[in-house]
Amino acid sequence: MGSETNNTRSSKRQFSRRQYLQTAIASGVGVGLAGCAGGNGSDSSGGSTSGSASESETTIQFASDDTFKEQQSRINELLHENGVSDSVTVEILGGSFVSSGRKNKYGNILSASQQQPTMFMMDDGWTIPFIARGEIANLSNELDDSLVSTIRDTYIDTMVSTATRNGDLYGVPLFADFPVIQYRKDKVLEAGFSESELETWSTESMSWQQFSNVVADTMEANPEMRGYNFQGANYIGLSCCNFVEIMSAWGGSYFGDFENLFGPIGDRPVTVNEEPVVQAINMIRHFIHDENPNGQWDDFAGGISPEAVVQYKEESSRKPFTNGEALFHRNWPYAININADPENGLGQEKLGTMPIPYGVTPEESKYGPEIGGIPAALGGWHVTLNPNAPDEKKAAAKEVMEALTKKPVQIGLADAGGWLPPVADTLRSNELKEKTSTVSPHLDSLAVAAENAVPRPVTVVWPQQAQQVNSEVNAAFKQEKSAREAMDSLQQSLTTLEEQNAQ
Amino acid sequence: MASEQAPRNEPRQQLNTGPLAQVTRWMESLNETQYAYLLLTPALVLLTVIALYPLLDTLRMSLFANSLTGGLGDFTGITNYIEIMTGQRTASLPSPFLPEAITVDALFNSALIVTLIFTVVSVFFETIIGFGQALVLNQDFAGRRWVRVAIIIPWAVPIVIQGMIFFLLFTPGIGLFIGAENNPTLLQEWGIFGQTPLANTTESTLIVIIADIWKTTAFMALLILAGLQSVDRNLYDVARVAGASKWQMFKRITLPVVLPSVLVAMLFRTIQAMRVYGVIEVVAGCNTVPSLSCLVITTFNQNLFGSSAAIAFMTAAIIGIMTGVYIIGYAREEV
Repeated sequence: MGSETNNTRSSKRQFSRRQYLQTAIASGVGVGLAGCAGGNGSDSSGGSTSGSASESETTIQFASDDTFKEQQSRINELLHENGVSDSVTVEILGGSFVSSGRKNKYGNILSASQQQPTMFMMDDGWTIPFIARGEIANLSNELDDSLVSTIRDTYIDTMVSTATRNGDLYGVPLFADFPVIQYRKDKVLEAGFSESELETWSTESMSWQQFSNVVADTMEANPEMRGYNFQGANYIGLSCCNFVEIMSAWGGSYFGDFENLFGPIGDRPVTVNEEPVVQAINMIRHFIHDENPNGQWDDFAGGISPEAVVQYKEESSRKPFTNGEALFHRNWPYAININADPENGLGQEKLGTMPIPYGVTPEESKYGPEIGGIPAALGGWHVTLNPNAPDEKKAAAKEVMEALTKKPVQIGLADAGGWLPPVADTLRSNELKEKTSTVSPHLDSLAVAAENAVPRPVTVVWPQQAQQVNSEVNAAFKQEKSAREAMDSLQQSLTTLEEQNAQ
Repeated sequence: MASEQAPRNEPRQQLNTGPLAQVTRWMESLNETQYAYLLLTPALVLLTVIALYPLLDTLRMSLFANSLTGGLGDFTGITNYIEIMTGQRTASLPSPFLPEAITVDALFNSALIVTLIFTVVSVFFETIIGFGQALVLNQDFAGRRWVRVAIIIPWAVPIVIQGMIFFLLFTPGIGLFIGAENNPTLLQEWGIFGQTPLANTTESTLIVIIADIWKTTAFMALLILAGLQSVDRNLYDVARVAGASKWQMFKRITLPVVLPSVLVAMLFRTIQAMRVYGVIEVVAGCNTVPSLSCLVITTFNQNLFGSSAAIAFMTAAIIGIMTGVYIIGYAREEV
């Protein structure tokens, strides 16, 4: 013990303040030199680019999702075949499948004025806030006028409108998303429905009443399986899409007439506490919990959806269907690609599709004909340009954007990943049917959805409004509040946000 | 001495008179306290740059209105704080800062209350269980090394993996704890969890607390174990000779010696728990389990920088107050 103490003292004496200072200075100089050495020559954005190495070779980064990244070589091939210089390579960056996660990431990149990525794949549900903040390039100034006119004249109007502000275009629609009901054709046939009925269902939307009874009958024949799976979680997909469909099927709307969807904020009515909206929620409660006060839903089959739908998002709802545990499922076309795959999914022969059912006809709807009748939330993605990108990369990006407007590229994308063309004519073309093996049998259902697509009310205040919608509607689905209480509360929140952010 | 050596060694003389030598001499002339502060100076400068400056800038930002078209709006003083505290800003927040009523649902909908519940419950159980683990680990027994490894493994698991484990455990039809609707588990039959616990705020909060206790108890155990190992074992021998019971030995010897370590461990954990975000996001999402950090991040992502900064500053202030309580408690123990 004593020797230990002496040793400690001795070591304390040996390491003097002078030595400490010398060591500290030496370490500081070393770390400084290492930092300087590491800092030289690296790209400020951390991205890999060969653009600066040689003017003839340009690699541009395209921030997208993982499914797009998987098709990088096929997409480059399509682009080169359709006018993009061979010297231009598109490096596709993967990203979260959850749309809001990518929105946040892109927000951080663009608000920090980073030069890379050059292009972003942006959800049509949140492109407008980026435009309003001046964070993405105005394509009306960047692209040829003729190309901008082509996009305006031939693309699906409602999609173009989600990338337009004050008459200027800020995004090239890349692909459109229209949800349909996917179902187990084999099980439905086993339950006694005929092939001709199924054929009719694929092009003619049925009512929710008929749909609920079809699900119940099929469940009766397949008691071990769940009925209708959809996305009812408290998340961005509820307000933008699922709830829009259910609500507008019954003639309900967030802000009254269709023309109010994109504003003006503070000068439009909030209409979520109206009867059709409450009715739509009550129908879903009947589907989940078999709730039927006053016999209102006597003609509708109840208890056809598992309670788990209140925490389901796209993937969590798709998996039980793909695994053969559910009979009916609402989802986007990407899920057709997975479910039609005979190895990893169900196979084409077991998969049927139909448009989303309707509640009231457009004529019966207070806000018809645009709202009411067959509903399908308009999803989709735009390609936008980073205004901070170097000029040579911007030039390459413009080449890519031009190629994306060509029909062969759009059909090639549909074939590669089930990404549907955002152009109505291409969507209906025989060429698309002939060249897309997976989506082809379902194009009729998708075309009906496309014709009835309802965009979400995207404004700069929509992200805040959406979170209130998600929260209240999910609470009502879970029976934490009555539909009336939830919608009265939502009416108040939305009205407050409209007043606080009036334009 | 130096003057005697100087004529024999010219370079050495230069070393002794250069600026480095002057700094060294000045350093050596400092007393112990001054020298301690000198050594702390780089750390304090660094802390000022990476902590104090952002904190002050956050305070500055919190005094400006939100601007939906980017950046900050007009200077509005403490309006953000008033509107957040009085509920006038609730419509633009994912959940209220303070509860809107005194009911279970309203309390679990408030970010502040959920954060406090999470902090108090998780830190309490982590301390109790961690203390127990530390007492066990402080004993000599065969395989102690392996038990230590087993206890520390959860601490090494990344938050996302930890979150996914608990997300899957409580996903209906997939996890062990939640069965399909026609095949409920015991936890469901006893009424602890419903069919969709990850969509229920109260149940999800409980799951997040359990996930945190599972992971972080090891941290408490290790810090408390360090304290336990500083106890002089001779004291126990003396106590045993004096006829003290095990409880008396724990109360009179172990606890007083180890209490400062426990307080430090609790302080660290409280600060971490008050900032909880990652595990919530992965297990149930901020929409289901609101915490203060959830509010900060959600509002920041919506470009509501004024609101975000105000909530962040209030969170820092609350953590500061809680830290103060611990430091006072620690000082009393030291006395």
